[in-house]
Formats: sequence, C-alpha cells, structure tokens
Amino acid sequence: MSSYFEKVQKRRLISSYFSVVLSIALVLFLLGLLGMLVLNAKKVSDHFKEQVVVTIYLKETAKEVEIKQLEKSLAMADYVKSIEYVSKEQAAEFLKEENGEDFMDFVGYNPLQNSIDVHLKADFVTSEHLEKIAEEATSKDFVDEVTYDNDLVNLMNENVKKISFWVLVISGIFTLIAVLLINSSIRLAVYSKRFTIKTMQMVGATKQFIRRPFVWKSVRLGIIGAALALIGMGIVLYNLNKTFPELELLSKPFLVVLLFAVVFTLGIIITWISTHIATQRFLNLKTDDLYY
Amino acid sequence: MSTPILQLKDVSIYQGDSLVLSKVNVEINKGDFVYLIGKTGTGKSSFMKTLYGDLPLTEGEGHIVDFNLKTLKESDIPYLRRKLGVVFQDFKLLSDSTVNDNLLFVLRATGWKDKAEMNARVEQVLSKVGMKTQGFKYPHELSGGEQQRVAIARALLNNPELILADEPTGNLDPQTSIEVMEVLQEINKNGNTILMATHDYALLLKYPSKTLKCDENQVFEVVQRKG
Repeated sequence: MSSYFEKVQKRRLISSYFSVVLSIALVLFLLGLLGMLVLNAKKVSDHFKEQVVVTIYLKETAKEVEIKQLEKSLAMADYVKSIEYVSKEQAAEFLKEENGEDFMDFVGYNPLQNSIDVHLKADFVTSEHLEKIAEEATSKDFVDEVTYDNDLVNLMNENVKKISFWVLVISGIFTLIAVLLINSSIRLAVYSKRFTIKTMQMVGATKQFIRRPFVWKSVRLGIIGAALALIGMGIVLYNLNKTFPELELLSKPFLVVLLFAVVFTLGIIITWISTHIATQRFLNLKTDDLYY
Repeated sequence: MSTPILQLKDVSIYQGDSLVLSKVNVEINKGDFVYLIGKTGTGKSSFMKTLYGDLPLTEGEGHIVDFNLKTLKESDIPYLRRKLGVVFQDFKLLSDSTVNDNLLFVLRATGWKDKAEMNARVEQVLSKVGMKTQGFKYPHELSGGEQQRVAIARALLNNPELILADEPTGNLDPQTSIEVMEVLQEINKNGNTILMATHDYALLLKYPSKTLKCDENQVFEVVQRKG
C-alpha cells in the first residue's frame, strides 16, 4: 500500500521536475536557434556583400605586364577576396548569351574593354572603402575607368544594419523571456518547499546551508535542460547543414562550439541565480508571512 | 544560586503594529520547568517567537542563553537556535525525509561531520523519547504523538540549554498528551530547562510547576494551589 503511495508521489515529483527541465530546454533551444541565426546572419550578409563587383576597365593600350602587375598587387591586397580577368572577347561572349543576339553583327566591331572584376571582402564593402580602392586604381594611367554600384552598396549596408539591430532586439527579448520563464518555474518549485525551508531555519540551519541543496538541484535540472537544448540544436544544425550545404553552417566550428558553450552556461547561470533569489526570498520571510 | 538562562526586562512584544505584551519581566533558571499559559490570542506564541528570533525584540532588554535579543543580528539567529530546542504544536518535521534523515539533517546543518557520531547521536535521542525502532519511517507514517516525540528528539540533538515547547500537546489527545508530557518531564529531570506554552490545564494539575500566565497584555506568575 505504502509502496504504491510512494510510487505515485515519486511520479508526481518527477513530472514537476520534468516541466522545469522542459521549460529550460525549450527556452534555451529557441535561444540557441536565434544564436545560430545571429551567427549566420553575418555569414549571409557577408555572402551578399561579397557579390558586389568592382570592375576596373583597362585601356586598349595597357601592356600585359602592367595588367599582370595590377592583378598581382590586387590579389595581394588584404581587402580583396578574389579577382578575375575578363577579356573583351569573354565580355562579348557573355553579353551575347545574356541578350540572345550578337551585337557585333550590327556594330561591326567589339566596343568592349578588357577588365578586371574585383570581389571585396565583406568588411570592406562600404562606400568609403570602395571609393578609396577606385581612386587608387584610377590613378594608374592604363586604367580607363572603375565602376561599381554605389547605391546597391549603401542600400545593402543600411539593410544589414537594420536587420542586425532587430535580430539583437529579438535576442534580447528572448533572453528576457528565458530568464522569466525559468525563473518562474523555479520559483514555483521553491515555493512548494517554503515550509520546509522555514522548518530548516527553525532548527538552526544557516541560510547558506539551506540554500545549497536547492541551488545544486536546480543547477542539475538546468544542466539536463541545457543538454536537451544542445541535442535539439545539434539535430537542427545537422539537418539544416544537410539540406542547405551552401550556407556552410559548420564552416567555423569554433563559433558553433562557442554558441553551444554559451547556451550551456546560460542554463546553469540562469537556474543558479533564479534559485538563489527564490530561496533567499523565502529565507528572509517571517513565518507568518509564509501563509499569504 | 542558579544562573538565569532567560532574562527579560520591560519587554514589549508587537505582532505587526499591535501591542501583544507589554512590560514583560521574566527570569528562568537552569533546570527549571516553566509553564506559559493563557487563552489563545494572549500572546503566548508571539512570546515564544521572540525568544527564538522569529520576531524581533524592539523594546526592553532580553538575554537568552548567551545572546542579547535586542542586538541580535539576522546572521546570529541560526546560532541562537542551535542553543535552543524548539518544539512546535504542528511538529514541523521535514515531510519528505525519514525520521532518521530529519535528525541527521539537523546534525549536518549544525556542523556535525562524523557519520558514526551522528548516527550514534540520532539513536541516543530517539531512545530517549522511545522511538528507537521507528527511525526508518516517514513522518506521515507516524501518529501525532509519535511525530511529537520525534520533534522532541530533534530538539534534544544539540544538548540545548533551553527547550521551548510551543503547545506541544495542542494537537494530541489527552492520553498521548500525557505520554509526551512524561517525555518532557524525563528530559527536565536530566537537567534540561524547559519553557512550555500550553492551554492544557489538566497537564498543569498533573505536573505542577512554576507557571506564567499571559493575560491582558501582561505576563505574570501564578501560584498554584497544591492538592
């Protein structure tokens, strides 16, 4: 009879811990996904920024040595991601494909110029940098003209700023929700033990002594919750990477590991602080106030 | 001449804003058994709470064991309670642990380290209250009288200089009350000082002793007629 009673009691206890663990796990999981988004938002915006092309048009008179030298110096520059020499024949070929008709048929000759397409590293794709780079290239006398889409660059940078701002705001809100949700679960768990806490105080236990097992238990729940969240994140990451390999989600393993570590630590810190505050609250109450 | 363990001088006790007891002058000596009687609501519990630090002493002078109640700091309260043994009307055992664990918790909380010593001490106090064979049970598996015996055993763990019993028989039937009372009497004979709040006059008649009465915001000693 009593063993049945104990079984029911234990099941009840386990299910109440289960909800705490689950809420920790879910919240951390969402936070982790958001973290992944933040990490990869940079990557995605970098990806777009690096599509911006600066085209250096070369004069007909440019010697091959000069061109080679320019290519070399560009390739060495720290702001350049890649360069590509496009001869005017290639450009004509490209245009032909694009338009579906050969314009040389009615122009009679190839009016295009030899050019070098420069892709910049994402961090250098700003108006100021582009201007400087263009100036530097134009100063060479075999360079005819340098073109790039300044409006596009400005628009892109502005949007990236806007989007990062909102992602940050949302992350902040999520973190707040995480803290509040975990905090309230833990508060309830501690609240249910408030008379036990008082009794412990009555027999001469110090606050610190009473608090320690509570904190330790919550941190353990936090660790389990965080571990579940990490497993979930791992599964999502694995599947996303399989479905969209071009996003290169795992290209920087250090960042992924860091994100996992941050989520795990958050799980511990939030449960720690919440339990500390919740137990402290009941430790500081006088016995009569417990009944409210 | 015995030394006073509890000394109150011109103490006023407030529950919230309302005055419960005023101008309390009480002295309890080592080895005494003192009753505190009075109708409910006359301040017995508030009086007890002041003694174990659950209500702050704001007016008057109070000394209990080695502590000054007037200057008692929050952080000193646990150490004061280790020198007192408190027994409550509703037992206040930890419901989620066995009798043994209840007692072991107190020992751990009050700084005992040696496992063997702790177990020996638990067995010792349990046998004092006649509960030696019940250590494995949970409080809810015990009767009220048995729970109160465990609570008394718990109060004895650290050899308290003063045991405060706040209506220890309040939840018990007359027969069980007498059994619990016998236990307290036994402990008192062994040299422990006991202050017991009660409204059970039958017990007073059966075990006469020094008696304080709370009435109309006053605490005064009443003289029992013998026989």
